[in-house]
Amino acid sequence: MSNELLTRNFYQLFDMPVAYEIDMDHLQQHYRNLAQSVHPDKFASAGDQERRISMQQTSWINKAFQTLKDPIERAVYLLQLKGVDVRLENETTMDAAFLMQQMELREALEGVHTQTDPLAFLDMELAKVKSAMQGLSREFSAAYQADAVDEAKECLRKMQFMQKARKEIDTLMAKIEDELF
Amino acid sequence: MALLQISEPGQSAAPHQHRLAVGIDLGTTNSLVATVRSGEASTLPDMQGNHSTPSVVRYSKDRVCVGNAAAMHAITDPKNTIVSVKRFMGRGVADLHVLGKKLPYDFVDSDAAVPRIRTVRGEVSATEISAEILRYLKARAVNVLGGDLTGAVITVPAYFDDAQRQATKDAARLAGINVLRLLNEPTAAAVAYGLDTGKEGVIAVYDLGGGTFDISILRLNKGVFEVLATGGDSALGGDDFDHKIAEWILQQAGVAADTSELDASTVRLLMQQARAAKEALAVAEQVEIKISNDSLSWQGSLSRSQMNELLDAMIKQTILACRRTLRDADVAIEDISEVVMVGGSTRVLRVREKVGEFFAREPLVSIDPDKVVAVGAALQADVLAGNRPGEDMLLLDIIPLSLGLETMGGLVEKIIQRNTPIPVAKAQDFTTYKDGQTAMAIHVVQGERDLVSDCRSLARFELRGFPPHVAGAARIRVTFQIDADGLLVVSAREQNSGVEASVDVKPSYGLSDSEVETMLRDSMTHAQDDMQLRALREQQVEGERVLAALDAALAVDADLLSEKEREAIDAARASLVETNVGNDAEAIKAAIKMLEASCDEFVARRMNNSIKQAMRGHSIDEYARHNEE
Repeated sequence: MSNELLTRNFYQLFDMPVAYEIDMDHLQQHYRNLAQSVHPDKFASAGDQERRISMQQTSWINKAFQTLKDPIERAVYLLQLKGVDVRLENETTMDAAFLMQQMELREALEGVHTQTDPLAFLDMELAKVKSAMQGLSREFSAAYQADAVDEAKECLRKMQFMQKARKEIDTLMAKIEDELF
Repeated sequence: MALLQISEPGQSAAPHQHRLAVGIDLGTTNSLVATVRSGEASTLPDMQGNHSTPSVVRYSKDRVCVGNAAAMHAITDPKNTIVSVKRFMGRGVADLHVLGKKLPYDFVDSDAAVPRIRTVRGEVSATEISAEILRYLKARAVNVLGGDLTGAVITVPAYFDDAQRQATKDAARLAGINVLRLLNEPTAAAVAYGLDTGKEGVIAVYDLGGGTFDISILRLNKGVFEVLATGGDSALGGDDFDHKIAEWILQQAGVAADTSELDASTVRLLMQQARAAKEALAVAEQVEIKISNDSLSWQGSLSRSQMNELLDAMIKQTILACRRTLRDADVAIEDISEVVMVGGSTRVLRVREKVGEFFAREPLVSIDPDKVVAVGAALQADVLAGNRPGEDMLLLDIIPLSLGLETMGGLVEKIIQRNTPIPVAKAQDFTTYKDGQTAMAIHVVQGERDLVSDCRSLARFELRGFPPHVAGAARIRVTFQIDADGLLVVSAREQNSGVEASVDVKPSYGLSDSEVETMLRDSMTHAQDDMQLRALREQQVEGERVLAALDAALAVDADLLSEKEREAIDAARASLVETNVGNDAEAIKAAIKMLEASCDEFVARRMNNSIKQAMRGHSIDEYARHNEE
């Protein structure tokens, strides 16, 4: 068992073309297959070194799987493959309409307590955020395909906004559930 | 450098040789051991034919006994008979604040960060007590199987944090067991269910045990058990149901008290009756309860609907956890193909009803909820021991709670998010905030909240001796490695100089070792909180002592008091009773003073009385000595 596996990029690891759109079933299938061959459970009675390598490899595969499965982490990773490190940049330029939408969403969330059924309201907002995320994903994919790095970055920033909104909804839901209880 | 944590060396036996491996369900209320023989997994009975062993340990002067033999003494010898020890696993002194008052044990009032219980056989920690249960189960397995064990898979609640997992692994080591893997209980149940039925799809495992609650969502596909999300509460279970019912009984009996004010054996009796009532109501619509001992006497009936009302709030809490976990898994209720019920507390009909309501389907109760976890663990142990070459069964588990570091302002920076598949390694770079800084304190925490103070503190260590830089120029890479047992190792390295430091996040049972002790104290809780808490506990103990002494005196000499005097004492007593359960040490101190003042005259009269009595049959010499004391 060599550590050659650790030098492959995440797409090579799962035998997939480098693209934003991915076949989720293919990813999951390959993840399970890879895990079958390297997981520590398969080396429970092997020597120290083999078990150490097994843990490293499985950690790597898990990280790869987590990255490609998540729409934002996948986008960040793709830009990294192009040599763009998105996390280190703090540009806030964003189109005005999008920012306005975000503000409206935040205001709606703040007024959640005035809703007759706050949980149903949040479920609805969550669905909206999810669908907006899907739209942005498609935009990102197109931009990436066309090698329009700036456009792709702008898209990613918006996706990060949406993810933050999603987290806020989650937190609010948990809070309201606690109150109801 | 302990970047990689490696389990006990596997034993290399000759091929084709069947290796003895067991699965152990170390439960809050009951524990079981199971193994695979001729391809069939089953639990192993003791000599009396009991498969399930009460998780009870009794310490007596000459020996330690476990199981039914220990449980028989739960009422007569409550201080030396430890039940539900799992609730203390990996817990610090601070946690006793929540748990301690319900419990009859003598907690050692010491500097130790790990709570220890005083017994006639000396002081013991939760890890040592659990080790006794594991040792007992191991002996049974060795006896039944007729050979030494290669190792064991031990199950833990999915929602156990790192400290609780480590404590469990340490208990196994103390018991001389080679741990093949710590396995999450719902995952074990899913394995037993999946291999039994051969079904595929997304399932929910609802696991309500004696002291813990887990909900796990798993995808079953061609022998692979992939955990998608897990949630729960590591301090909610059937024990809490019993407490609720016990409190109701006290109310009905007109005892304006909670269980913390009763003597230990009455509490145990009450809890046993409450539990018996709960179990009876799984079949009957109504149950008769009769309690009578020296301090409590009550008879009455409890109906199922009355009990449901008592339990609904707690059941609702579990349903909320289900809701959140589904959201985490990004799975809709319609996507769930089966809901598997695990744990003895799922026998409560109301639980089944509410779970069925939430998932909009009849939960599966056909598998034995008590045995399924042990059986699943045995199947996994068989695979890990190498008895099933070519078997494609594989468990892909996740970490239940996010792991992170403390950053400026007491905020948490999450390094590994909850529900990440394990094993996993993640690194993040941090930097210095002062010019010339050459050291950095690393504080590892676990939990979902943003503030360090709201999360569980796992460990602190320091990275020292890296070259000074201007603020923000140093690059400290902190790496979190979680192994397949869900255990964490953290290491830090200054990238420019290569200075390294690491720590196994490991609360330990090694209490004789004062170094470990100090490290643990630093890592588990803030020292100041500890001190405040200790002061409070001391006052509470003193309050309890004063109350007990007064009650004993009143029981004998109440006739020495006028009605008015008695009223004054009762009022002061009531005030102390109330204050003593609060968390204000100063107020307790004041209430004790007040009660003592109200008793001055009473105490004097009693002393006179006893002097008179003593003088009747004793010499003046003895009286003089008595008086000096």
